[in-house]
Amino acid sequence: MKKILLLVFALCLSLNSYAQEMGSVLIKNGTVITITNGNKADTDVLIEDGIITKIGRNLSAPNGVPVVDASGKYVMPGIIDAHSHIAAVDVNEWTNPVTAEVTMEESVNPNDINIYWALAGGVTTINLMHGSANVIGGRNETLKLRYGASVDEMRFDGAQQTIKFALGENPTRVHGQGFGVKPRTRMGVAQVIRSHFDAAIDYRRNRQNYLEAKKAYENGEREMPPVPVARNLRLEVLADILEGDIWVHCHSYRADEITMLMRVFDDYGIENYTFQHANEAFKVAPELRKHGAHASVFSDWWAYKFEVYYSTAYNASILNANGVITSINSDSGELIRHLNHEAAKTVHYGGTTKQDALKMITINPAIQLGIDDRVGSIEVGKDGDVVIWSGHPLSIYSIAQASYINGVKYFDRSEDPNDMRLEVNPETNFNETATRWYEENGRHGESCMQGAKISFTANGMKLH
Amino acid sequence: MKLARTVTICIALLMVFSLQAGAQSAPAQAFKNVTIHTNGNTIESGTIVWRNGVITAIGEEVSIPFDAYVRDGGDSLHVYPGFIDGMALWGSPEPKEYDEAPDEPGNPTYERAGIQPFRHPASLLEVKDKSLVKAQKHGFTTAALGLKGQMLPGQIDLFFINGEKTQNYILDRGIGVLAQFEGAQGAAYPSTLMGVMAQYRQLFYDAKAQMQQQVYFASVGGSYPAPDHERVLEALYPVMKQQQPFYFVVNSDENIERLFTLQDELGFDVILVSGKEAYKKADELKERNIPVLVSIDLPEKPEWKTDDKEDENLTDEKEHFRKRQMEAYKADVTNIKKLLEAGVKVGYASNGLKLSKLHENISTLLDEGGLSEDQILKLFTKSTADILGYGQKMGDLKKGHIASFSVFTKPFIEKDTSVLYSVSNGEVMEFEPESSKKSGDKDE
Repeated sequence: MKKILLLVFALCLSLNSYAQEMGSVLIKNGTVITITNGNKADTDVLIEDGIITKIGRNLSAPNGVPVVDASGKYVMPGIIDAHSHIAAVDVNEWTNPVTAEVTMEESVNPNDINIYWALAGGVTTINLMHGSANVIGGRNETLKLRYGASVDEMRFDGAQQTIKFALGENPTRVHGQGFGVKPRTRMGVAQVIRSHFDAAIDYRRNRQNYLEAKKAYENGEREMPPVPVARNLRLEVLADILEGDIWVHCHSYRADEITMLMRVFDDYGIENYTFQHANEAFKVAPELRKHGAHASVFSDWWAYKFEVYYSTAYNASILNANGVITSINSDSGELIRHLNHEAAKTVHYGGTTKQDALKMITINPAIQLGIDDRVGSIEVGKDGDVVIWSGHPLSIYSIAQASYINGVKYFDRSEDPNDMRLEVNPETNFNETATRWYEENGRHGESCMQGAKISFTANGMKLH
Repeated sequence: MKLARTVTICIALLMVFSLQAGAQSAPAQAFKNVTIHTNGNTIESGTIVWRNGVITAIGEEVSIPFDAYVRDGGDSLHVYPGFIDGMALWGSPEPKEYDEAPDEPGNPTYERAGIQPFRHPASLLEVKDKSLVKAQKHGFTTAALGLKGQMLPGQIDLFFINGEKTQNYILDRGIGVLAQFEGAQGAAYPSTLMGVMAQYRQLFYDAKAQMQQQVYFASVGGSYPAPDHERVLEALYPVMKQQQPFYFVVNSDENIERLFTLQDELGFDVILVSGKEAYKKADELKERNIPVLVSIDLPEKPEWKTDDKEDENLTDEKEHFRKRQMEAYKADVTNIKKLLEAGVKVGYASNGLKLSKLHENISTLLDEGGLSEDQILKLFTKSTADILGYGQKMGDLKKGHIASFSVFTKPFIEKDTSVLYSVSNGEVMEFEPESSKKSGDKDE
């Protein structure tokens, strides 16, 4: 009983600690792309207190609820980017091959102007990921792009916890080549994962035994006190992965390493996971389908390092045709501004249907992040995260006109002021503040490897 | 009988003389005809008397003891309570520089990671550091000193500032443990903010386990493994038991939130140091009863504002940006005012601010920060003393308080004022007036 009371108290505290703004709006006469139930012409969507309450024709707005006319326009669920590094303070705690104890939850920069630019591209939710310098990196944080809100207010409340893994060149380059520690090879990567899972199993058992023995000693049921087993955050998180409480999102490229990880996960009974990038996933699409593994890929971004030369713009389409839940992601502050175009490439190259292409930036990433009961489609009872587009979202001519999160408008092209920076430093020069992501990082920027200070010289690789 | 009486009288006389000799082993000292500024009061043509490091009399009509060494201010000098720095880095050795990554970057030694909470400034103070003299010349007589470094550089020790002698003038050791969100140097764990957050947690978990084993070991007979005595972890026990606060250097709004998260999880007492954006969290700081030893390292005024040249390419966007820059500047310089209005306890900490910047920033606080002269004086004296737990003994000029004060040529806020005498725990240091120095002699 005491525990229940404590739990209720803790819950009240957590609910009271921050308020996420909820809004109401009636969007009328648009073509509603529901994603899960086809397109509906001349249809209204009513959002009340943040939740979609009605979808239909001739809906009337309850008292005080603003009405927006979307005649001739398209209404779609907000885009979900399953792989992003915008709004981050740091991306890589790159110093150890395994850093499960860190979390991007504690590395959120709510003032990043890229959030606003992403909203202008129709994105409402991102998976803020740890980088790929480590075999097992930090936990990721699913965020709603409530620009102008605090870190707490940006959290996607109740979202599934996920963690970043990384295979191949990045972790072997940083740790093996750079620091001279395991893993130096892809074999080593597999072994790092296995040995840490084994350690986590031992830890959970030992810690549990210690806590039980401590209790018994305190109750006088045991003569000798136990030797303490310290709480270990890193191993605790790894044990949670093994118990299915944390899902894995794994940076990967080659088909052989994708297969390797599925074998490792089979051995440890891990079921929920998504391969990120996965440029060669098309080669093992049936195996992915068999394992229920998901893929989150680029539309056509490749050849930026050796392990991504064998790539194809048909990757997403092949995976989709094989029944693999597939999403298209950005991994970039530039691509995130037009993920609709990235999805359209699957129609253009791979002949994927428009509906499936749109799923790749809405319900599919929602499934991969464990938030598909809340977002990713326009359905009664789901969150009011919707975007009004000037035309069909897959058209190269269409642009996002307004983006809503839980019924609150965070972007409106008709009211787009000159300066949307949240923070202005009194000491900065105006010109220094006006750069864009792609001017700083380029399209082939170091997204996943931010913070891992590597350069290539005539003498080879150098870590700073 | 007569003999007995004589002996008694002799003994009594001996006792009186020996008592007097003991009590007056140090002669009294006094300043007369000075303007004395206490917190909230000004005494014109006043006198201040002290003996053995304690103020014995202060006021307009004060009798000066016969043995006192008296300095006459000629009604032109100003006496202020000694300024107190709530967290200064004066005399701290520079942190060790590392060119190479450790053998295992993910598992560096505590020292390599900048985690050394057991270190004491009292043992490491570089007495030749000119700041220890310059501080007196700027009115400081007391300072809580910390060490430069990363996450947990060491303890905070409280000193009477007295030039090179400071090392021997310790008022209190270990009044807190300095903590920061600073990762290890170069390629070593923790290298990020999130890594630092995780490391704080892990340190507390490890300390808890070590402490538990020590308790068990002490409570049972044989057949129980001897515990470790890792000094890094042992230095955290008093913080875990809330017997010693963290002096946590934090500036941004978001990092203050992160500090709250750690505090809620790990349960420590904390004094916030620097707190440049603390006003954004004023209500919660007040609610949590967290005092702020605030930095006055204020931003420079936007460069276009001080530049006379008209910008020919002034677009709407740029104009808007300038307006926002001015708002941001104003918000930063009124940080202290807003904290005070919210009822937060605010003191002062230089935390690395150069003494040469002090006067300029005090002027900004007066002109643009919305603070009065009295409020600024209180910030540097009484309020800081209260936060350090010494409000009953210093921070004001009162009978019974520690005799730590400074004698300025003009009110301390005036541009060309300078300190002629610094009295630190009763000991007088005399300085050459700034005006009589040759050009080029000026400090910093």
